[in-house]
Amino acid sequence: MTSTLATTDLRKAFGGVTALDGATVEFQHGKVNALIGPNGSGKTTFFNCVTGMIKPDSGTVTYDGRDITGKAPHTIARHGMGRTFQLCRTFPRMTALENVLAAVPVGGLLAGLRGAKRRSEIDRAISWLTRLGIEHLAGSEARDMSWGQQKLLELAGVLMSEPETVLLDEPAGGVNPALLDRIGLLVRELNAEGRTFVIVEHNMDLVMSISDHIVVFDRGRPIASGPPSVIRTDEKVLGAYLGV
Amino acid sequence: MLNASRALKAGAILLLAAGILAFPSLAPNPYILSVGVLVLNYAALSTSWNFVGGFTGYISLGHGALAGLGAYGTGLLVAKGGLPPFLALFAGATLVAALAVPIGFAALRVRGASFVIVSISLVLILLLIFQSWASVTGGSRGLVVPRPFDLSRPEHHRVFYYLFAGLLALALLVWWLIDRSRFGLGLKSIREDEDKAEALGTATYAYKLIVFVVSAFFTALTGGLYALWFGDLDPVFQFSILTGSYLVLMALLGGVRQLFGPVVGAIIVGTALEYFKGAYGDTPLHLVATGLLLALVVLFMPDGVLPAVADLFKRFDRTQSSSIREVTASELRDERLKKAEGAAR
Repeated sequence: MTSTLATTDLRKAFGGVTALDGATVEFQHGKVNALIGPNGSGKTTFFNCVTGMIKPDSGTVTYDGRDITGKAPHTIARHGMGRTFQLCRTFPRMTALENVLAAVPVGGLLAGLRGAKRRSEIDRAISWLTRLGIEHLAGSEARDMSWGQQKLLELAGVLMSEPETVLLDEPAGGVNPALLDRIGLLVRELNAEGRTFVIVEHNMDLVMSISDHIVVFDRGRPIASGPPSVIRTDEKVLGAYLGV
Repeated sequence: MLNASRALKAGAILLLAAGILAFPSLAPNPYILSVGVLVLNYAALSTSWNFVGGFTGYISLGHGALAGLGAYGTGLLVAKGGLPPFLALFAGATLVAALAVPIGFAALRVRGASFVIVSISLVLILLLIFQSWASVTGGSRGLVVPRPFDLSRPEHHRVFYYLFAGLLALALLVWWLIDRSRFGLGLKSIREDEDKAEALGTATYAYKLIVFVVSAFFTALTGGLYALWFGDLDPVFQFSILTGSYLVLMALLGGVRQLFGPVVGAIIVGTALEYFKGAYGDTPLHLVATGLLLALVVLFMPDGVLPAVADLFKRFDRTQSSSIREVTASELRDERLKKAEGAAR
């Protein structure tokens, strides 16, 4: 199987606004996939439908051959899909360490009564924080951290849940160039370790440099897909972006 | 690591516990002792409330109704069912916990202000039911609950004082256990950002429902104990929005993120309530005073008294950056250095 995450004819309207208009998309397993398109083309709605945050009006989402359409977000997360949010979301009044520990999957009710701060899990959390370069902030509350640090923290939390597929909603938004390089590098590294990525992003430099496969959205449906070299010169894509 | 702030904290807890246990021997008369019972009743209720309010951030004004249900459940099982008092207490609380499943199922679907309103409606609906269904509940004439012990009035207060203290200790123990657990971390992540918690794989709805039922159980247990102590139930007082508001005020005043926050809040507000009632008699002025207190807390100590006090101490203790955290940044750094040394050898 080459694809793990796929949708068929996904539709979603908010009142009179059609956000998704029959989106049929297939992402490539084990690759860095990018989802691009002008503002309002339905990328975030697509993300929210795929991760269960909102229910599509019609159409299906399948992951690993399983139909996950309309399932609860936590169920989808446990299937191995982790996501970050467009406006990065952390738990503001928890320390960075607690933020990451909160992503540890809890097996059942009895397992849930075990201590939250077990040595082995703290070690694993610290190793993620270290990998993202924010381990010195482990004891700081998320609300005291800068935007960039919070973005890294959110990513550390998602990675702590050991997802097979990571969905990033605008990882480059509001991030300085140095940090941007680090995030790009990290995505490639994590991909080399076997994680699939789906990235919504406006920063074309980042998209073109790290993606293997790009899907372009316009008005709620894909208008093109392929490797960066193809997308760069696609007439329809240029049209959508430049409005010609 | 034993440091000054931890020792201070342990000392404060010991002092609080000793003060609570010694109170009956120090109380000059049965009235003061009965105020003590009332304050412990509030402390147990407020701590029970804090299972929902403190962990998930859902502000329920309806917990008075859960206590009322526990009181009536216990009272009816004793007075009409003929059950032994303390069997009735646990049976009543279990029934209320079971009832909390459908209540929570409906109420926890909404968040924020909507949840507050739903929780208020619970009180109002139950008030109507218990007033109108006089053939079972005694209606406005009230329900007399037989006393479980044949004791003099001061002795009766003394025994119930310790029963309430025991119940409070149990509620605190369970709160502490949840606070340090993974389940508790999940609940707190709901308080911080529910959608984010859900996206990270936390079954938020189930989490909320479980902790709501636990909270209802302890609230009903306290309400039932109140019925056995007070011996007379009236729907107007059992299903009053004021009760729920007092609990919220106590927890907020003490600090909802702290184990002992609601207890400290109950001691302050409970004593103040009794004092205001004494000072202003039957006039609604005691409500005005209580309202003012709530406004002051929200304005000047949004995190409560305990965190404010902790901050004050932290200012004097500059040896570490964050004394109240379980693992501080400096501890982690030390540990990493140690590990690095170990690896180098």
